[in-house]
Amino acid sequence: MKNHRFTGEPPIRVGGVERVTGAQRYAADLRFENVLHLKLVHLDCGHARIKSIDISDALKVEGVYGVVTTADLPQPVPRFGPTVMDWPLLAVNETKFFGEPVAVVAAETIDAAQIGAQAVKVDFEELPAVLSIDDALNPEMPLVREPELRPGDKFANTNIFKEWNLGHGNIEAAKSAFVLEHIYSFPMVTHFAIEPHAFIAAPDEDGVTIWSPNQHPFVLQKVVAATFKWPLSRVRIIAPDPGGGFGGKGWPLYESLLAFLALKFKRPVRLVLTLEETFQNVRRASARATVRSGFDAAGHLTFQEVSTDYLIGAYAAVAPRVVSKGSFVAGGPYVCPHVKIRARAILSHTTPSTAFRGFGTPQGSWGVESQLTEAAARLGIDPVEIRRRNLPKYHEEFVPNTTPCDGNWFEVLEAAADHIGWDTPLAKHRGRGIALGVKSSSTAASSQAMARMLFDGSVLILTGTSDMGQGARTVYTQLASDNLGVPYDRIRIVMGDTNVVPFDNSTSASRSTVFMGNAILSACNDLKSKFHDLMAKELDISADEVEVDSGKVKIPGRTMTFAEALKVCLPTRGEIIGLGTYSNPPVEGHPLGAHPSFWEFNAVATELEVDPETGTVHLIKLVVVSDVGEALNPLQVEAQDEGSAIMGLGHSLMEHMVHDKHGRIVNLGALDYRIPTIKDIPLVMESVFIENGDGPGPFGSKGVGEGGLLSIAAAVGAAVNQAAGVSIRDLPLTAERIWRAIQERSQHLEEPGKTQDSGLQADMVSR
Amino acid sequence: MRSFAYARPESLNEALALLNEYGPAATILAGGTDVVVRLRTGRVLPAIVIDLKRVPALHADILETDTRLRVGARTVMADLVADERVRSRFPALAEAAHEVGSIQIRNRATLAGNICNASPAADTAPPLLVYGAVVNLVNATGPRSIPLAHFFKGPGRTAMERGELVESIDLPFAKQRQGAAFARATRRLGVDLATINIACLVKASGQTLFAYGAVAPTPLLVSDDSGKLADANCGEDEKLSILENLIAHTAPISDVRASHEYREALLMVMSRRVLDAAIARLHDQEGLL
Amino acid sequence: MIATAAEAVRIHLTVNGEERSVKVLPHHILLDVLRDQLGLTGTKECCLQGECGACTVLLNGRAVDSCLVLALEADGGEVLTIEGLAPDGKLDALQTSFLEKGAVQCGFCIPGMILSAKYLMKTTPHPTREEIQDGLAGNLCRCAGYYRMIEAVVAASEAKP
Repeated sequence: MKNHRFTGEPPIRVGGVERVTGAQRYAADLRFENVLHLKLVHLDCGHARIKSIDISDALKVEGVYGVVTTADLPQPVPRFGPTVMDWPLLAVNETKFFGEPVAVVAAETIDAAQIGAQAVKVDFEELPAVLSIDDALNPEMPLVREPELRPGDKFANTNIFKEWNLGHGNIEAAKSAFVLEHIYSFPMVTHFAIEPHAFIAAPDEDGVTIWSPNQHPFVLQKVVAATFKWPLSRVRIIAPDPGGGFGGKGWPLYESLLAFLALKFKRPVRLVLTLEETFQNVRRASARATVRSGFDAAGHLTFQEVSTDYLIGAYAAVAPRVVSKGSFVAGGPYVCPHVKIRARAILSHTTPSTAFRGFGTPQGSWGVESQLTEAAARLGIDPVEIRRRNLPKYHEEFVPNTTPCDGNWFEVLEAAADHIGWDTPLAKHRGRGIALGVKSSSTAASSQAMARMLFDGSVLILTGTSDMGQGARTVYTQLASDNLGVPYDRIRIVMGDTNVVPFDNSTSASRSTVFMGNAILSACNDLKSKFHDLMAKELDISADEVEVDSGKVKIPGRTMTFAEALKVCLPTRGEIIGLGTYSNPPVEGHPLGAHPSFWEFNAVATELEVDPETGTVHLIKLVVVSDVGEALNPLQVEAQDEGSAIMGLGHSLMEHMVHDKHGRIVNLGALDYRIPTIKDIPLVMESVFIENGDGPGPFGSKGVGEGGLLSIAAAVGAAVNQAAGVSIRDLPLTAERIWRAIQERSQHLEEPGKTQDSGLQADMVSR
Repeated sequence: MRSFAYARPESLNEALALLNEYGPAATILAGGTDVVVRLRTGRVLPAIVIDLKRVPALHADILETDTRLRVGARTVMADLVADERVRSRFPALAEAAHEVGSIQIRNRATLAGNICNASPAADTAPPLLVYGAVVNLVNATGPRSIPLAHFFKGPGRTAMERGELVESIDLPFAKQRQGAAFARATRRLGVDLATINIACLVKASGQTLFAYGAVAPTPLLVSDDSGKLADANCGEDEKLSILENLIAHTAPISDVRASHEYREALLMVMSRRVLDAAIARLHDQEGLL
Repeated sequence: MIATAAEAVRIHLTVNGEERSVKVLPHHILLDVLRDQLGLTGTKECCLQGECGACTVLLNGRAVDSCLVLALEADGGEVLTIEGLAPDGKLDALQTSFLEKGAVQCGFCIPGMILSAKYLMKTTPHPTREEIQDGLAGNLCRCAGYYRMIEAVVAASEAKP
């Protein structure tokens, strides 16, 4: 694939050879001497009062070194958290989610740790578990969070963690030709990265070194240090490349506990979660949204009222940010004079939710996009056309007083319609759907990078990004090589060690190409500038007689390679270090803390067939169009877009975590939690990018990677609607759910006089 | 995983003696694709695991005589799927075996193990039933054979007694032309356990057999001898009525995979489809028995 | 032979062409022997149920989930892991095509995926798209859309030896 921005072929994925030969070391592949293996002890229900824990039998197991309960922890039990420090290292008095540990066993072997864990006897009393939004809002159900922990909080005696009110205008003033109102639900799903979580901690002087395949090492460092009130310098995070993150490896889990144990035992400690334990510890917030939308006769939005409850789980973690950021664009990428958004984070006795690709946006887009398509049908307007009529133009604000529309979003929409063959005839039992998604990238954030040119002209780029498969190392190599004129094989990207690399906020929000890419270019430019000044000074010539560019240093009468020039300007040997920063500054009073650095915008179009007798969906074609600014590595962009879309098919068609009344996850593990396999992909998939060079990143690039997943559910839902004549507002659209809707529809059609849900079917069948 | 003793007998007598000695404290290991998972979760906690893979009498071949194919106890699914004789004479079985897990599973999982596991949802059970498979058992006192139709007793329970092993499974050649087909419903197109599965066999005489899986405590075999299901002149309504009567023998439940109403609906839809496929195969046969 | 629950037994197996010998207890699985005792961490642990394929190796020439094989079962057998595909550093056609076609992202599923593909090409040297989907159905990937893996297998099957 031709990379038109850079000359020459892009490098083969940096780190690729290691991955295809098995040489790549993930966290669980690392070996440590004198390590203690840990196993968590958790209960067989969601919510329980811990009465007593008897560890005597466990201590007798051969190989068990120690068993730790809250009695062994500092009092009060330390709590950690990136927004609120509420998550205790071990459950305190009560377990609040299925999988929350009450004790941890340390042993010389994994076997002994497992046997030891099974020998720990916990006397507990199962309590009613709040497992749904309705449970949480039911005053007769228990409070998940003790009111004493919420002084001065108006919601202290409820299961509402927090509420956000956003929007603009006044919906009461809106005049509409008709109004649609529906309730949509988005399921609880889990990341299911193929690498389960693994953590190691070892004592390091008076501090700790923690190995965790973590996407945001500096956040982790901050959280661990804060848990124990240590200076940041006492905590070193080494983050091996994750085997898939998707947000699930972004936020702290057991690192603080392991830090404590490492210092207690004075030995390295290692915890590798099973896949089942991984499911118990990370998930997306599920949500229920009531969307009320008003339209004029031409299909323009007159108002949007979106009320969404997100079920966030037992501890806050990063959920408040997910809810607020996802809700900020709850109205969708549309110009609408009056928007009222109310979002609530609701506590439950379930796994604390965390960041997951899309970060609160897919939950909202499911309802808003489905509703727009329904409005189109009501009005007899094409679903593409209704979007044309409501999209903002370039540089037009759609959320007032903040970053305006920063791309040609019409072009994205048209490309999706074009590539799916929107206007071509459709066979029986088939349907097409289209949906748009918009997400804010990073707001107040910064990235720093260091470029070290070593004495022979080879280069180390030090960066805090986590390469979890998106290919950051490769893009950074391309950027540095292009800027400095140093070949790929003389550049090494160093990541994943807070003692070594400078600060980066996070690897999230599709921000790294823009933020870190710019920081790296800035560092390279700084390096060249310093090189330049050193040469001038050493040779005692004026600055404008020196040129440092494209791998060469030119002075009057001579052109040198970098290596030759370095010998000249560093007579005692040495290196030249460039530093670069890129940041988006905070904005006081902004609901997100700062203006979105850019919008990630995407269109998904799909064509599928529904078997009317079984409800089974066959995906014929999927088109994903992303507004990427400039694709610095087109192969990697495509790969990410495809992966994002296929992941989105998961929550659209088959993924949901099911709890029983004891709060246990019923489909725990790979057998009954179904994700798309190679046989579940659409027959044809196309990934298209729009490149207008209008992004804030290097060469006008924007971030990518979350796009397709943002709105695919609504595209699939609309296509199912057209193919089968049913409106389903709950995900996933399993075969059984579709079948049921078809049965109910048939019953209604057989019984005249019964009003249909939305009057949609008659309209849809005719198109 | 809790530990256990492990034995690798090298003769049938040795294997049987071990089985007799340990009884329910022994777990048999052939392919391991079910057993190892149960050992890990603690669903079985045996004192000893008896690995049958070195017992020559329990071979992994498919042997042919005039009257039948004899599938050895250690024959794996992948080899069933690949065997030309199975594909041409027992196509519904080849289709079903192909659906068992992934190639990694099929390279290890044995047909015998699949039936001994006696899951109501076992994919190979419906075709085996309609093909009239016979299970050849062996114990310390000698061999005995049971029609598969009498082999399944309940979820996870078979007619095998203490100290017995499956030695082989016979697939008798048909005495008249027949056509058979297999179908299953799953939650995703990729590897999955069956929501329901069905096999149908139609004989030239018109006798029609159905076997259903995942809709009763055991795989279920039913038969319609009226000949009407294969009769082109018979009306649709009458055929549907016969199918309903056959399906009435099932008792689908609701579980994490599907509700019982959905399973009931699938039974009818898929019965029609698999019947059509079996009839088409019957007509395709050119005197092949 | 009979091994008791508590006493480790020595087994011999050929791994990536080399004779290896380790002591194991009956409940030890092949996956752990490879990773922990032989230091071959290229084979990965994920679901431990035979659903995800991350632990795929070739055992006696067949692709299997090594999490479902007791170590004792592999006694006397031959195992090929991802490390054995390019013993002298020269990448196998599949390894090259996976890289060139952009099929590798986080990489965690890749060793298992490549070995399943290797097995597929042994039995079906020029597989169709459907045959590739069938052959890789037991390998889950969460990063990619799977299309590139299909392309990579096709490319490898067309590559000159």
